[in-house]
Amino acid sequence: MISTFKGLNRLLIGGTGLAIALLLSFPLIANQTSNPSFYLQIVSVAACSSILTISLNICMGYGGLLSLMHTGLQMAGGYAIGILMVKFGWNGWLALVMAAVTGALFAVIVILFSLRATYLYFGMITLAVNLIAMEGVRHGGELTGGYDGLFGIFAPGIPDGMMSPSAFYLTVLTILFAVYFVQRNLIRSGFGRNTMALRESSETATALGISPSMHRLKVFGVSGAIAGLAGGLLSMQMGYAFAEIGDLNNGLIFFVGLFLGGVGTLAGPILGVSLVAVIDFTIRGTAQYRTLILGAILLTTMIILPRGIVGTYRASRYGSPRSREVMPGEAENYKLEIDVKDVTNGEILLEAKDIVKHFGGVKAVDGISVQFKAGEVHGIIGPNGSGKSTLVSTLTRYHEATSGSVILFGEEADKKPFVVARTGITRVFQVPHLFERVSVLDNVLTGMYRRDNYNIFDAIFRTSRYRKANSRSVAEAKALLSLSGMLEIEELAAGSISHGQKRLLEVIRAVATHPKILILDEPATGLTQDELNSLKSLIRKLAKAGMCVVLIEHNVAFLMDLADIVTVIQNGKVIAEGAPHTVQNDQRVIDAYLGNTDFSKELA
Amino acid sequence: MSLQVWIDGIFVGSIFALVALSMTIVYQPTRIMNFAQGEGFILGAALGYQFIGVWKWPLVTALIVLIAVATIMGFIMERMVMLPVQLSGSKFAWIIATLAAALIFQSIFNIRWVNVSFSYFDFFDKDIPIFGATLSIQKLLVIVSVAVIYVANELFLRRTLWGRSIRAIAHNPDTSTILGIPTKPVIKLAFITGTVVIAISGFLAAPVIIVAPAAGLFYTIQGFTAAIIGGVGSAKGAVVGGMVIGILDSVVRSWLGGTWGLFSTFLVLAAILILKPTGFFGKRVEGR
Repeated sequence: MISTFKGLNRLLIGGTGLAIALLLSFPLIANQTSNPSFYLQIVSVAACSSILTISLNICMGYGGLLSLMHTGLQMAGGYAIGILMVKFGWNGWLALVMAAVTGALFAVIVILFSLRATYLYFGMITLAVNLIAMEGVRHGGELTGGYDGLFGIFAPGIPDGMMSPSAFYLTVLTILFAVYFVQRNLIRSGFGRNTMALRESSETATALGISPSMHRLKVFGVSGAIAGLAGGLLSMQMGYAFAEIGDLNNGLIFFVGLFLGGVGTLAGPILGVSLVAVIDFTIRGTAQYRTLILGAILLTTMIILPRGIVGTYRASRYGSPRSREVMPGEAENYKLEIDVKDVTNGEILLEAKDIVKHFGGVKAVDGISVQFKAGEVHGIIGPNGSGKSTLVSTLTRYHEATSGSVILFGEEADKKPFVVARTGITRVFQVPHLFERVSVLDNVLTGMYRRDNYNIFDAIFRTSRYRKANSRSVAEAKALLSLSGMLEIEELAAGSISHGQKRLLEVIRAVATHPKILILDEPATGLTQDELNSLKSLIRKLAKAGMCVVLIEHNVAFLMDLADIVTVIQNGKVIAEGAPHTVQNDQRVIDAYLGNTDFSKELA
Repeated sequence: MSLQVWIDGIFVGSIFALVALSMTIVYQPTRIMNFAQGEGFILGAALGYQFIGVWKWPLVTALIVLIAVATIMGFIMERMVMLPVQLSGSKFAWIIATLAAALIFQSIFNIRWVNVSFSYFDFFDKDIPIFGATLSIQKLLVIVSVAVIYVANELFLRRTLWGRSIRAIAHNPDTSTILGIPTKPVIKLAFITGTVVIAISGFLAAPVIIVAPAAGLFYTIQGFTAAIIGGVGSAKGAVVGGMVIGILDSVVRSWLGGTWGLFSTFLVLAAILILKPTGFFGKRVEGR
């Protein structure tokens, strides 16, 4: 079986090499036909479509942002080139750069206006923007050529004149490969991880300190730039720019290509668009039926091959990641040093003052004041529904407190949850909030986002700043995984590991954020005895290093063994607080858990 | 601003309201905004043209056959949309599937009725004069349909068991299934009802406005716009939203000319999405 796997892999690599060679030598092949520029144009346009589909893949496949304005972005890129070249006499290649900038600006403006929009509404906004943009260029008068559009766009030769079709073809192909690598480098970096984190679970990403608005801006901006570039190239190829380029009908080919190839895969867009281009060429005599056929292919693909070709391969036995063997002695490479900086033991890191939180008529938290100190394991227990998780939610600003204040490191905590997360609190939720389709290792690496000091350009060009930061992060992530015995499964998708492993992974990811305060909401649920022991020793190490660990638990034995101080909550109020032993014997606590039917005691 | 402009606005608004209402009917149990809904409108216009304009059938016969065909179309559309959605697991599945369905139906209409605009004669060739403006009976039919469909939908949702099932599914599909509510047949019913409603609308409206075979997406977008302005998922919102854009379009058009009418509705859409995304009567979702 392994040999089949290796054999298939070699076949794919060989096949790709062959395809690239074929594409590069295509001008020679085309010259043998009676109409070389016709065939060159078909492949060039397909390449432009591939570039646009990569852009769509970045924002939709990886980013989870539904965009119905990519045809509009393409149109904008074409008009940018058209206006600059035809109306202002700019050099075409400079104008091409501006086409990318135009696409990016257009995309950024749309995001800025729709920060508050959720997923569906964002899609609708892009649809509306697309329609407005099309109408806008139609009414642009002299500048945009009105309903007729702009003509006379061409690819300038170097140093002057017009570029030959073959030379332009090779240029477009080169740009396509470059864009592919940009996509690949971005996705396989902190930028890509954050993008996927936001797609999978916006709340978790926020809890790890990722700013949703800022990041969406970047993702859509990059996507817009590439789309603008594609549009510029297309207009250079066709020689004109007009409003109909923005029509949603034209966008069908991109969606078909993207879904056929595989949404959210690196190679999917190019493969899918190539196939669609071939199909399109084959049915070229029957223009009316084109939409029908393409639409039918799209629907069929979604039913039979929902993950697309590349996605299905990746999910199959041959293409999916597998657990590996840990080499003997490898664990020695990954030693973990946990060191919580800038705190003194016993210092009050987080304080709740008279927190009240109402949900309509329900008083979830009814006046609670607690102090959380460095170097302590602070347990919180109480019956179901007593307000433990709500309290913690208000402390991390995931919910807004109705009244009361949250003092973090001596100051009132910021209102935005991701800012609070960045200041040094990390919370592990009760329900697993892993990024299911992302690998175990990548999940941990996402936690280190705040400490990555590189930017988009570093990631794209793999500068030394990126490489240093990356190897440091990877080493630490592997050390954490090694500590919990999960190094073997680092490649597996987080959604496919066992429940106990998922819980441990969440805790490790939280630790990777180097918090000063770690909040664990019922982490022991579903863990085996071995896993419980691992968790206990990890928590002890963390507290010893100076971290404040807040532990909400129902597993009383587990908690009492670990905690330095325990707060008991019932009906939204604190009913007892103190050392574990004292609290365990407090009558009020016993009554809260076991119930009390002696009414006379209550009335007295 | 003459009264005629307002009357025309209400008429056009009624068309958009009917589109938006049919979308709401589909949206409620599925949480899907159907891009292909507008194609049902074209079906109504196309069959009206074919049955009444070309084959000269009696009105009642044409209507009955139309409803039968619309039922079949609704059923097919449901399969075209829900199969990919159920199998895909991707959160974009519904939008791509409905978009693909829309384009497939559009091309079918284009192929079958090449170079045709759907126009036939009014059913009752009479006009009602109102303070100097005129209101044809045909237009009045469309306007009245809005009220009829709205009331029928509300009664259905609140008074019948099927209706209550739809509301339950709208709140929580999984719990509904556990409680024994047949979600799949209810969804099929929603698609079929939505398609029948919009097909009848097209059938009634086509004599007045000339409908092109490829216009499905246009009506879909207007329906979306109306639904969003009024609040997605709210029938009241669908009607109000439709009226808003119909009247706005008519008024701006008489004031500034042709294409500005549409442009202004898109601007209102963008404004609502930015300022109050849930529209007038929509519900807010906590978190996120």
